[in-house]
Amino acid sequence: MNTENPDILELLPRLTDDDVGVRRIALIELADLEDPESLPWLVHALGSDPADEVRAEAARLLEAWEELEVVEGLCAALVDPDHKVRVAAAQSLSQLKTTEAGRVILPWAEHADVFVRSSALRALRELRLAESAPMALKALADGEASVRREAVGILGWLKQTAALPELARLVSADPDTEVRRVATGALGFANDRSVLQALVAALGDEQWQVREEAATTLGKLGLQDAGPALVTALNDDYWQVRLRAARSLGKLAYADGLSSLVQVLGHSISNLRKEAALALGELRDPAAIAALQAAEHDGDPEVRKAVRISLAQLRGGQV
Amino acid sequence: MSSHNTLEQAYDIVIIGGGTAGPMAAITAKEKNRNLRVLLIDKANVKRSGAISMGMDGLNNAIIPGHATPEQYTKEITVANDGVVNQAAVLAYAERSFETIEQLDRWGVKFEKDETGDYAVKKVHHMGAYVLPMPEGHDIKKVLYRQLKRARVDITNRVIATRLLTDASGAVNGVMGFDCRTADFHVIKAKAVILCCGAAGRLGLPASGYLMGTYENPTNAGDGYAMAYHAGAELANLECFQINPLIKDYNGPACAYVTGPLGGYTANNKGERFIECDYWSGQMMWEFHQELEGGNGPVFLKLDHLAEETIQNIEEILHSNERPSRGQFHAGRGTDYRQHMVEMHISEIGFCSGHSASGVWVNERAETSVKGLYSAGDMAAVPHNYMLGAFTYGWFAGVNAADYVAERDHSELDEAQIAAERARVYAPLQRESGLPPAQVEYKLRRFVNDYLQPPKVTRKMEIGLQRFADIENDINQMKASNAHELMRAMEVSVIRDCAEMAARASLFRKESRWGLYHHRVDYPLRNDAEWFCHCHLKRDENGVMTSFKKAVEPYLIALDDNEQQAYNRLRVGAA
Amino acid sequence: MAYQPQDIFFRSTAPVTVDEDKCIAHKGCTVCVDVCPMDLLAINPATQKAYMAFDECWYCMPCEKDCPTGAVRVEIPYLVR
Repeated sequence: MNTENPDILELLPRLTDDDVGVRRIALIELADLEDPESLPWLVHALGSDPADEVRAEAARLLEAWEELEVVEGLCAALVDPDHKVRVAAAQSLSQLKTTEAGRVILPWAEHADVFVRSSALRALRELRLAESAPMALKALADGEASVRREAVGILGWLKQTAALPELARLVSADPDTEVRRVATGALGFANDRSVLQALVAALGDEQWQVREEAATTLGKLGLQDAGPALVTALNDDYWQVRLRAARSLGKLAYADGLSSLVQVLGHSISNLRKEAALALGELRDPAAIAALQAAEHDGDPEVRKAVRISLAQLRGGQV
Repeated sequence: MSSHNTLEQAYDIVIIGGGTAGPMAAITAKEKNRNLRVLLIDKANVKRSGAISMGMDGLNNAIIPGHATPEQYTKEITVANDGVVNQAAVLAYAERSFETIEQLDRWGVKFEKDETGDYAVKKVHHMGAYVLPMPEGHDIKKVLYRQLKRARVDITNRVIATRLLTDASGAVNGVMGFDCRTADFHVIKAKAVILCCGAAGRLGLPASGYLMGTYENPTNAGDGYAMAYHAGAELANLECFQINPLIKDYNGPACAYVTGPLGGYTANNKGERFIECDYWSGQMMWEFHQELEGGNGPVFLKLDHLAEETIQNIEEILHSNERPSRGQFHAGRGTDYRQHMVEMHISEIGFCSGHSASGVWVNERAETSVKGLYSAGDMAAVPHNYMLGAFTYGWFAGVNAADYVAERDHSELDEAQIAAERARVYAPLQRESGLPPAQVEYKLRRFVNDYLQPPKVTRKMEIGLQRFADIENDINQMKASNAHELMRAMEVSVIRDCAEMAARASLFRKESRWGLYHHRVDYPLRNDAEWFCHCHLKRDENGVMTSFKKAVEPYLIALDDNEQQAYNRLRVGAA
Repeated sequence: MAYQPQDIFFRSTAPVTVDEDKCIAHKGCTVCVDVCPMDLLAINPATQKAYMAFDECWYCMPCEKDCPTGAVRVEIPYLVR
């Protein structure tokens, strides 16, 4: 480790001080230089300092350096004996942006330790590295929910069409709510009806967050065949789910949803009345005019605005 | 004279203010030309300075392909500002801002994305969708700092810039200021200066009476407005004040654009929505004010109808970003979103183009009316620019200033200007006894509330002008015991300048416009025949504060009658 | 004898307090002092620990959040609490 940078040279004695606090503060000052020449000392501290708080500090400070020795050091720190160090290293890895860094991380995604696997997968998600797809696909069957959750993220971000059947299977079969929810959202990149059945089934999930995600995703996909299921979802126990169902029926311009949406105009939650009013405009069916007129004096100004917008749409005017 | 040192330096470009726009301007100038000597100075420390010192929880003017278009956005900003906008400046933001998002994303700023990696844009406004949450936005200053250091921008912290230097032709050629710890005087030669000093946030006094309990970061006292004014720059539409709805007493933003997409809303004492206006504007603030003062007040943020999981999510976002002491405040008052609505109020007045339209005039190149002087961020008059506009205009300022200095040399500094400023700055330190700056500030800002708070009354504003003139005498009797107190003393003088500008600008425009921002009781109606124009203010050749009209630039994107009317229909008439 | 101007000081309780057992300012740390936007914190030369020198807090929290040892506590100033 050599340098001629006077700022670094000045810090060297404190970096090897006997006192943990002194070493840690010196490390913070070293990183503050943002000079690549300081990286060897930071990597060394991460891997070799006897004090866990110094190693954890090094793991935090090394964030956003893409150099291979840094990435390797951070990956190795995922198995540090100290919990703080492992968490800090995982967080710093998740900030990386280059595919070269991703290739270093890749093998760690199959590590025996759950935390290492999920952290590596989390770091890989934003990198959209094609090579991570087969590994993520395998990880969908991992025994740990945290790993499956990150694997779904990778496949969703890569928009891997080949992974759709597996993702669709998870939507209904995974025991973990969050995995089912993110898998439901990940189906949003599909461009055909292959995922319809899984999404419709998800509208009946026992957890409302999954049902909400399913209602939203069906709107994003714009599949007409989803209409009847979304109409049923207008009677969900949670108004949050009904709201997304109403919005998606609007996006689909699903003509047969009209009478059900009209009923929603009378719901006690105004957020929902507003969404129903907007959706009725999107259906472009003048049959809704009378019901909308009756709602023109709703007590909530947002609902009144939505009604005016929709009436203008139905009367052929611009908004 | 004092025993304090004077430090002299020379840079190609000096950027004043290291919050949001400033770092972007500095990095951009260096990227444009590695050989430029670029200095960023900040009265605080750039690591945690400015309006976003603790991060930001979302963008509310993101124009993301597939969700909104630059043309649509420009129309909405035009309508929300009652037509008085330079569309070229708004459109320039709108067309560039997506690139800014992508740049920030590459740097490591986290924007919310859905499970397929697409930006998770939320629809809040009427015509387009502009809200992009940043649930992990607390790291944004860290990301900026890293980029600044890696771009090898020189940074000087804890120096308060007080005046700009100008050459014989009137062009800016330097900056003066002092160190708030040592009181050393700084004279910095510059070929171009970029002002990024944020809002004038210490103009009005918060309802709590606590001087530093402001909506804005109180470091943003209006330094940039005063420096630009004294350098001869034009300021635009200052009468379009900044007033924001906020959490009462805590005085931090309620963040309706975070809670809105999740189902929360602003309600009256019946728990009902009352805001008709779609866009964040003076009209919205007018409606808020009416409800607050009427029988349906006070006004609340209502979240108690949301699901437990949603409330946990809101707490996670709002209590960790932007103003993280919010959770502690609610706990202290026994407020739980699950059971209680949160009492709201409106903020003290200020200048801020980021939230309204009051700022130092700039064109779409971030140039002010003074040669060599650029401005960006909350203090630069591009309406409703917010954080993303600050970054985007910081980029414009960096690029254009780098081009401007390329072929220029430093010009001779005027020793008379330096001597005068040195004497002005050190006067409070040299007095044996005198008025405490905090008390002069308190009285000044109480007068601002008494005489300038809308609805604006002519006679009150005239009295206010007299009081602000009296405060000038008090300023000349302030004593500062140390460099820190000297910083506060100099800020009082900045606040006084802003107060006078606010009064004169408000008296000049003899109509009402922009809802509560400029509601004049003596001229209660909008008068397009006489006042469909910008109102500019500047220091004329004789040193007199002068206001004048400027025509609104021809629209680049026309609004048809329907669009105009659709908006007018949504309005509640001025009562 | 003519009337002499006399200064008098208002008492206030500091909203920002420091746990001196945790503070490592004596080891060269100045993180809280550096990040305060209002420049309100300083290192006490006698104790070599951080303390609040000026009562102008905006309760923005960087001093508490950035402190490497968790030694700083910010309470919302009484007037707005």
